[in-house]
Amino acid sequence: MSELKERTKPAAKKNSKEWWFAFGVIVVATLLTRLYKIAEPEHVCWDETHFGKMGSWYIKRTFFFDVHPPLGKMLIGLSGYLTGYDGQFPFEKPGDVYENVNYLGMRLFCTLLGAATVPFAFVTVWELTESLEASFLASTLFLLDVGLITLNQYILLDPILLFFVMGSVLGMAKVGSQTYKAFSAQWYFWLVWTGVMLAGSISVKFVGLFVVLLVGLHTASQLWNILGDTSQPLTHVLKHFVARALCLILLPILLYVCFFYVHLKVLNHTGNGDGFYSSAFQSQLIGNSLHNASMPREVSYGAVVSLKNHRTGGGYLHSHWHLYPEGVGAHQQQITAYTHKDENNKWAIKSIAEIEPEDKDEVQILRHGQYVRLEHLVTKRNLHSHKEPAPMTRKHLQVTGYGENGTGDANDVWVVHIDGGVKNQPVLTVTSKFRLIHHLQKCVLTTSGKQLPKWGFEQQEVSCNPNFRDKNALWNVEDNFSPKLPNVTVQVYAPSFWERFLESHAVMLQGNAGLKPKEGEVTSKPWQWPINYKGQFFSGNQYRIYLLGNPVVWWSNLGFLALFCSVYFFQLLRHQRSPEVRSHEHKKLAAGVWLLVGWALHYFPFWIMGRVLYFHHYFPALMFNSMLSGVIISYILEVVKELLAEKVAFVFRHCLLGLFASSLAYSFYLFAPLAYGMTGASGNDPNSTMQSVRWLESWEF
Amino acid sequence: MGMLQPTQDAELINRKASKKGKTDKDLLKRNKIIESEPDTEKREMETDSKRPTQNPTELNLQPVKFQCQISFQFDLASLICLVVGIATRFYNLTQPHSIVFDELHYGKYVSLYMKRTFFFDSQPPLGKQLIALAAYIGGYTGDFKFVAIGAAYPENFPLFAVRFIPALCGALLPVSVYYLLLQLGLKQLTAATAAFLILFDNALLTQSRFILMEPMLLLFSVFGLYCLLKFIRCRESPYTFAWFAWLIVGLFSLTAAVCIKFVGLCSLLLGFYVVWRDMWSLVANKNLSIWSLVSQALVRAVVLFAVPVALYLSLFHVHLSILNKAGPHDSVMTSAFQASLEGGLASITKGQPLQIAHGSQITLRHSHGRTCWMHSHAAVYPVRYPDKRGSSHQQQVTCYSFKDVNNWWIVKRPSRSDLAVSRPIDAIKDGDIIQLVHGMTSRALNSHDVAAPVSPQNQEVSCYIDYNISMPAQNLWRVDIINKDQVGDVWHTIESMVRLVHVNTSQALKFSGKQLPDWGFNQHEIVTDRVVIQDDTVWNVEEHRYTKSDDQKERERDMVHAEMIPTRPTTLSFWDKIVELHMKMLFSSSDTLQDHMYSSQPLDWPLLSRGIAYWVNTTTNAQVHLIGNVAIWYSGTIAIFSYCVLLVWYLCRMRRKIYDISADEWARFDLVLEIALFGYGINMLPYFCVERTLFLHHYLPALVFKIVLLAAFTEHALTVARSCRWSNLIYWPLQILFASWLLMILYVFVQFAPLSYGCSSFTVQQLLSLRWRDSWDFIMQRSALDVDMLL
Repeated sequence: MSELKERTKPAAKKNSKEWWFAFGVIVVATLLTRLYKIAEPEHVCWDETHFGKMGSWYIKRTFFFDVHPPLGKMLIGLSGYLTGYDGQFPFEKPGDVYENVNYLGMRLFCTLLGAATVPFAFVTVWELTESLEASFLASTLFLLDVGLITLNQYILLDPILLFFVMGSVLGMAKVGSQTYKAFSAQWYFWLVWTGVMLAGSISVKFVGLFVVLLVGLHTASQLWNILGDTSQPLTHVLKHFVARALCLILLPILLYVCFFYVHLKVLNHTGNGDGFYSSAFQSQLIGNSLHNASMPREVSYGAVVSLKNHRTGGGYLHSHWHLYPEGVGAHQQQITAYTHKDENNKWAIKSIAEIEPEDKDEVQILRHGQYVRLEHLVTKRNLHSHKEPAPMTRKHLQVTGYGENGTGDANDVWVVHIDGGVKNQPVLTVTSKFRLIHHLQKCVLTTSGKQLPKWGFEQQEVSCNPNFRDKNALWNVEDNFSPKLPNVTVQVYAPSFWERFLESHAVMLQGNAGLKPKEGEVTSKPWQWPINYKGQFFSGNQYRIYLLGNPVVWWSNLGFLALFCSVYFFQLLRHQRSPEVRSHEHKKLAAGVWLLVGWALHYFPFWIMGRVLYFHHYFPALMFNSMLSGVIISYILEVVKELLAEKVAFVFRHCLLGLFASSLAYSFYLFAPLAYGMTGASGNDPNSTMQSVRWLESWEF
Repeated sequence: MGMLQPTQDAELINRKASKKGKTDKDLLKRNKIIESEPDTEKREMETDSKRPTQNPTELNLQPVKFQCQISFQFDLASLICLVVGIATRFYNLTQPHSIVFDELHYGKYVSLYMKRTFFFDSQPPLGKQLIALAAYIGGYTGDFKFVAIGAAYPENFPLFAVRFIPALCGALLPVSVYYLLLQLGLKQLTAATAAFLILFDNALLTQSRFILMEPMLLLFSVFGLYCLLKFIRCRESPYTFAWFAWLIVGLFSLTAAVCIKFVGLCSLLLGFYVVWRDMWSLVANKNLSIWSLVSQALVRAVVLFAVPVALYLSLFHVHLSILNKAGPHDSVMTSAFQASLEGGLASITKGQPLQIAHGSQITLRHSHGRTCWMHSHAAVYPVRYPDKRGSSHQQQVTCYSFKDVNNWWIVKRPSRSDLAVSRPIDAIKDGDIIQLVHGMTSRALNSHDVAAPVSPQNQEVSCYIDYNISMPAQNLWRVDIINKDQVGDVWHTIESMVRLVHVNTSQALKFSGKQLPDWGFNQHEIVTDRVVIQDDTVWNVEEHRYTKSDDQKERERDMVHAEMIPTRPTTLSFWDKIVELHMKMLFSSSDTLQDHMYSSQPLDWPLLSRGIAYWVNTTTNAQVHLIGNVAIWYSGTIAIFSYCVLLVWYLCRMRRKIYDISADEWARFDLVLEIALFGYGINMLPYFCVERTLFLHHYLPALVFKIVLLAAFTEHALTVARSCRWSNLIYWPLQILFASWLLMILYVFVQFAPLSYGCSSFTVQQLLSLRWRDSWDFIMQRSALDVDMLL
């Protein structure tokens, strides 16, 4: 910290020795803090179990489903591939020991990306304020936050996300400070850089959207300034606009689509994610039963089929020997929707004529508007519905399996209704979307998506909905066995890249929306984050890692945030009172406003999110807050210097910086074991060494 | 953007006009028109168009008479709105004579007000109070049971009185909107257009005709905003009566909106914005000293805080003082709350299971003398007492005078190991041998031949810890029911008085009356005594619940959360009650998420993709269906979109120092933006973030602001058209367009009005022909249709 003194001279020029010295100190210190003990613990930590696994799947090229876009996991896979990891380690659960596994390459890759945020912060604040002091303070806050160190050291998406977020902000600041040399090669470089970083952020996690918003707002405000310069012709504004639209809108979209293209190209083997996708999608995966399968093009009476529901992530129409329990509608056989492939998903299509057509009869193709019975192949019961409430959705009718050996009653009759179909249009395998409408009850076969209780083996409810427009009432034939019809390969239905791209998004969105906290589950709440209320276990047992921010950094950050808001409001008030006072346009305050907007954009949206939230979601916001703290401290020092006598100001400045630096350094020393690993007694134990720093009851290390 | 400072009041416009003398003849003409026929919009507009062509020299003919004519004219226009409003809202008000949609809920609440029975609702009480008041005046006694939608009201039910308040509010809404627009500095024609749109929107009409909250909510919001706009008109003369009056009345009205439904908060926030935006613009006024600014800001802050809080709290005070009886709807509240209601204690005591069975969780109360409950905790008897006697060093059992989670004991038959109560229940009878397991520590109640700590002549009672030192557990107890002659020989909650007799030693569990020293936390001692028959050995069960789960963790969690019954009727302070009520109101609404056939999403609203079926007569197909006037809703959506585009356009042009419209027109444009567009946004956007079942009627507050914006937009478009270069070419067609647009709205209104009034029967064909959008689900007889019609 002794270097700090030299750095306090204001108005240091860029590229001066001082600048490079300060920058060098930060880089070296960053590398030291981030790479220290990077190989420990030598077992799977926290979400490494997910992302390590997904990295392995990329290496093995097996298809999977995840709620996040692919870039982060692809990069993890790539880094593993390049550093000699073979993708064979199962990453089953946290705590699994890495034996003879080349995991270090992936960790190093993530750590280095995460480490880059510190010098990025330095340069960003420099570009925004041209104050070496502010840059140094801001990046020191990054450097000494144990939470950032912990989050950056493992095979996770977060270091990659933070890298891209900070990279975008850096690009934004660079572009902003170079407005005077617009359209130069350097300017274009930074514009493209920003675009690439934005694409990266949003392709790692969807929360990258917030930084896109920030850059969008910043760009709009720049264009607004350019528009206000009436000395320039309108074409000038247009040029600026087009350059930005190309680099900041078009380029990111292109890159985003490219990442998905690579993702879908690489993952071409069947894996555990198949069931979430439509039949057509699955037919593209090597090893899937639909891949290159050959079956009849049309569905005929007498065929044995499986029916897949068309809602995203919908299951197959299923039945089994178990009955609905007493008190749940009629005591008849259960009908459910089941997401896995199974013999019990097979149904025979029969005509409503009581006599089976004899073999010599011509094959009858199933067509739009025709009547059918569906007989469950294993239990020989017919798909049936009647005036009893469905088990979960009480407004729908119950659907049961009814009859003996295929003989039921009039309530087994369904009408096939192809979506948008015309009379006599044949039902085609996989491609035809159709409804099954109950002839007598005038309701439509749907799956509500609700899980049945234990008696229904937690499969999805199937019911008959009187509202024909239910979105979940569409089905398609997936498997089709019909000896009488010629087989064709299913390859003909291959969906295009765009269809698969869109379907991936629909499934991802549904997956994200489905990440609701379970009943009684304790989740992290956004109000807890800025005050560092509770951390997160990364590793338990002997070698404990606990993700928790450095409380000195976090709490002082909050204080400086409040200070900035009041200072800025006060300056606005002065301006409103006398318009000639424009002190609110001070460079540091203007920079602070953007950082504040960045913080707010990365924090407040979580308040209205219904999904499960975690402590680590706050880290992007934290980075903005840390930069803001650096900026506001140096602003205060500058103002104080103007207000007080030189001597007093000098003393004040040094006292403040000294106090700040020493408390930061000391707190880092105190809390570093959280990131680098604690051994011995646990924190709850009064004898533990960490007991003394357990400042809040809620910290559970 | 300009200041929030309406440049012209309508009166001001006209006064100015009278000075400049632009319009007197023209206005006179307009007066005549209004007097002669009620539906004047079209003609008015035509006369308006002539205004600029008037000769400016014909001024100040009869200024005095002119002024009085203006005020007359005002009354007439608003009077027409009022009359049409009353006519449309009150026409056949008591039809349909059966429960329509949410009347089911609100009607029930009104009945409960009449009966003074407490109920819990997650919305504040004002709306229900107003309706209850009207019902009370109408002579309703609260005897009707609101069972199901569609059930007919009895003949003697004062339906008119109960539906009166919403209908009245619905009838007053057009007038309020009319004055709000005048206050925004818009022309009378525009104000009348807005009132016309409000009058002839089917959704607003339907919603006003039943026992529903929205009409009141809308009226109070609009009126409150009107008052606050009046208030900022008084900015030059602060602290005058008018200044205070408009501010306080405005806040009062907006707070009333909050007290009807919490969404009223959106309008209240808009009101706050209006007040502080005005304050902000005052800062720039150099004539005001800093101190006068600070003091004015303080005064505003105090009023802005005090009025809403005072009104809100006093309404809840009224609510809680009226509803002072316990009833079937208070079980969501804590026992303490319930016991504070008349008859509440008895009802919670009754709410417990009666028969004690294997697996019952109970608290055992010492029946005679000092009130305390048998208790144990994770602390042991000290190894040696000060008098050198030794103890068993086992877990303490005491009698504790406070309700506590450690008072729970679980009744267990020695032969069984599971604890969950299963059907049929295994009831404990007189003479049965049981064990008592302490709920939180799962140790069994035990006694043995060790002297008790303070009463050495008696045996110690402990919770048994197996130290493996040849001191076996002696944890069997016999249940003796003393009053079995009266209550039967099954052990009952509260009524059965029991003695617990230790099987090994035949001594009875007894409260010794002595206090333990510090190691026992000064709680009272429990021992067993050879003398079985005495008052201190009598116990009874007070709290009682059945164990639900065999899992110990879950059981403990259950017990921690279980509530104790208050010992006597409680008197909670108003603050305690209101805090508890609000905790429940804010956190209970989240678990009421369920599908509803007619629920919709915020994105469905601007384009009216779904209505709500309110009521149907199954034989005639006569029905009430909440559906808006498509013409209004679609034009409103277009207007909002165009307004935003125009805003961006003007801002960009002004940035380039090109001024397309006059400063006055821009100020008006900006004010409309800040009231109507912000109002629309703030009433609409929150719905994108909430996770609950939403309905079309949630959109109505936003709709009112949308209509204001729509009307303002027509004025802006006409003004711009008139002042632009090709005004000769486009102004007339525009006016015709405007007139035919109004006619179209009227046509659509008439088409859909039967769905608001629910008086006329429909054939399926008629209903199908009204289904202008596929997604509108009117209820019709299914059997008459084929599949394609329903899809």
